[in-house]
Amino acid sequence: MSQELPQKRGGAAAAAGEGGQERHAFYVYGIGARADLEPLFAETLPEGIEGSVPLEIVVEGELAAIASTVPLKDYDEEALEAHLADPEWTAARAARHQKVVAHFAERAGIVPLRFGTIYRERSRIAQMLSEKREELSALTARVQGREEWSLNLFCERAKLMKRLDSTNLRLREASERAASAPPGQAYLLRKKTEALRSAEARAEIQRVTAAVAEALAARSDGAKRLNLLRQETAEPGELAARLSFLVARDRLAEFRAVAEQLAREHTESGFTLELVGPWPAFNFTDAATAAASTDPIS
Amino acid sequence: MPDPDLELLEQSDLSLLETLDHVLNKGLVIAGEITISVADIDLIFVGLNVLLGSVETINEVLGQRTSGGAAESDAPESGTGRA
Repeated sequence: MSQELPQKRGGAAAAAGEGGQERHAFYVYGIGARADLEPLFAETLPEGIEGSVPLEIVVEGELAAIASTVPLKDYDEEALEAHLADPEWTAARAARHQKVVAHFAERAGIVPLRFGTIYRERSRIAQMLSEKREELSALTARVQGREEWSLNLFCERAKLMKRLDSTNLRLREASERAASAPPGQAYLLRKKTEALRSAEARAEIQRVTAAVAEALAARSDGAKRLNLLRQETAEPGELAARLSFLVARDRLAEFRAVAEQLAREHTESGFTLELVGPWPAFNFTDAATAAASTDPIS
Repeated sequence: MPDPDLELLEQSDLSLLETLDHVLNKGLVIAGEITISVADIDLIFVGLNVLLGSVETINEVLGQRTSGGAAESDAPESGTGRA
């Protein structure tokens, strides 16, 4: 996906005017129904991305955006790019972005925007809300009363292998044959057995992932398989799969009960299920997702 | 009754890395007048991934949210469960 950047217009970025006053741009966090968001602005709000600068609401028709002003000197294209190379700068702001989006997502249906969506003028946000009204309204409706939960599936390979050795018939036969064969042949058979073990382990991981995905997809309103972002071989084993589900709040107890049941079922084979959330519906708010009621998991 | 041998869904912090992954990589992409391109995001994320251990600022910023997991009355299920 490529970005569309308008031509830089000299001076058009002046939101607060010239004459020594700092110029501002508008950072946008998320979008929701105006009727849901407006009352929230009467309550205590989390701090904005720049800490001291408060959040504001930009309304247009039935939609509203959550925004705050940011100094243009830090957020114009060049400055932003330079700042983003600084992990501490970026991480602190990404964390504040998350806090803002999470605050609203807990209280209303929110379409979370990705970090770093910036408009030069408030009126351009309203224009965007108006132009994308249909798509945004559909997305807002989709996330209403729902939240995202992600599930990390870890696999402790040694435990899985041990389990397979005792339960998998083909593996048992193969290793018995290797054990009773003459030395030269035994070596080859052992190598074959090792290859078979790896293949069976991979197949088992696939099978468990599919079973978990299917069972939880049935208790949610959307399911996705996420890319693995880390090769973690720490405590609960290696990360075998990451799934994400859009779960209705009133079905969360059921969803969790099923997740716990699945965890119990697969613990003997070395699998650990980790449920993380609730998240704003980050993975369920693209237009393609909105069109489908349930997303294929593959 | 849960199996006593099982570490059942105990509350812990949302993974910092996971949080950043969600915020930086996901969410609706709307053409703002300044937006970070997808390729840039990947680079940022790789950089963060590598340097994360030393970044305490994020922990402070996130701290309020994650530690409030069970305390937030309207989000009683917040946090990480490991079973």
